[in-house]
Amino acid sequence: MSWRVLHHRFVVVPLALVALVAAWNLYIAFNDHGILEGQVRDRAGAPVAGATVIFFERNAIYFQEKVRTTTDAKGDFRFTGLQHHVGQLEAVTDDGRRSDRRQVRLWFRAQDTEVAPLIVERRS
Amino acid sequence: MRPPSAWPRHVIMIVVSILMLIPFYWVLKTSLTGENIYAYPPRLIPADPHLFNYVDVWYLIPFPRYLLNSVIVSAMAIAGSLLFNVAAGYALTKDFPARRWIVLLLLSCMLIPFQATIIPAYLITSWLGVLDSWLGIALPLLSTIICIFIFKASFEAVPRSLIDAARVDGLSEWRIVVRILLPLSKSAIATNVILTFIWSWNAFLWPLIVTRTPEMQTLPLGLARFLSVMEDTTGALYAFVVLVLIPGLAIFLMAQKEFIRGLTSGATKG
Repeated sequence: MSWRVLHHRFVVVPLALVALVAAWNLYIAFNDHGILEGQVRDRAGAPVAGATVIFFERNAIYFQEKVRTTTDAKGDFRFTGLQHHVGQLEAVTDDGRRSDRRQVRLWFRAQDTEVAPLIVERRS
Repeated sequence: MRPPSAWPRHVIMIVVSILMLIPFYWVLKTSLTGENIYAYPPRLIPADPHLFNYVDVWYLIPFPRYLLNSVIVSAMAIAGSLLFNVAAGYALTKDFPARRWIVLLLLSCMLIPFQATIIPAYLITSWLGVLDSWLGIALPLLSTIICIFIFKASFEAVPRSLIDAARVDGLSEWRIVVRILLPLSKSAIATNVILTFIWSWNAFLWPLIVTRTPEMQTLPLGLARFLSVMEDTTGALYAFVVLVLIPGLAIFLMAQKEFIRGLTSGATKG
């Protein structure tokens, strides 16, 4: 068999696609721990400790609560083991302040992600 | 006298090409935005495009399984059709009793729509015990009359003296086909590959009938299932369509030259 056949587009294109898919799957393998982290702040930008952060998962029709966690002294929160590629995040404080529901869309299921800060404020 | 300028012809061809490509562009645009396709006035430039609809498709339905089924069925159909169509095409270049009648029979069979033969085809597939399997889905495309005639025309274009010389050198019939005829029939091979791929990739009715479990469904069946279970998923639906289209487009673009040449050859010499 001549090595020239390897330069044929019917060989090069599928091989390039296979390499691309392999590289993407390798990236996924190292970044799919289901970690979702971020910070909760108030309107002044100060971290909010003790806020409850709720993750909503999407089913076929609507979003429903899946899991919740609490921010630490620095206002940071962290979910682990999430197996979703789409969901929503919302932060609620004990004194009634809450954030907008933030849509979270990921490139693959259980992608490790750090989201932009959730801003809590009092709503009417 | 100066030759006429090519510009007007090119402008017309560019305009026609754009008109032909608009539906594809619209599918692609909708897959990137998810906007309502009936929105008025229609927006030509996508607003806030993203690729997350493709991620949704990947996870909302068992897309990898459908893709695997489609790829395996297409590969089996292509391999089988190459083998059987080459053999049949070569046989029809020989002189033997009733050859003319066999050619007429094949030509007349082309007039019968597949839908009319689907019940006997199903019974044969059942009798072979390959219902709900990759081979069962690929079975009707393992030999196609159009491709047999494409190979016949291509083989007949090879000088008889070349085949006689090969025979004098002691080559068997199969080696003549493999070593002499096939290397000279690349256009016919490309045409066979592309046509078989497109037919098997887009097949809906036969896979619908022959498969019984969701695990054996192919992409077109997945598309129908996707429509039946999901609501308000315009973007994801169009993303699914693009994902189904991409392999066929890629193969066509890779083999465009051979494909056109093979079809033209079949048209003029068949």
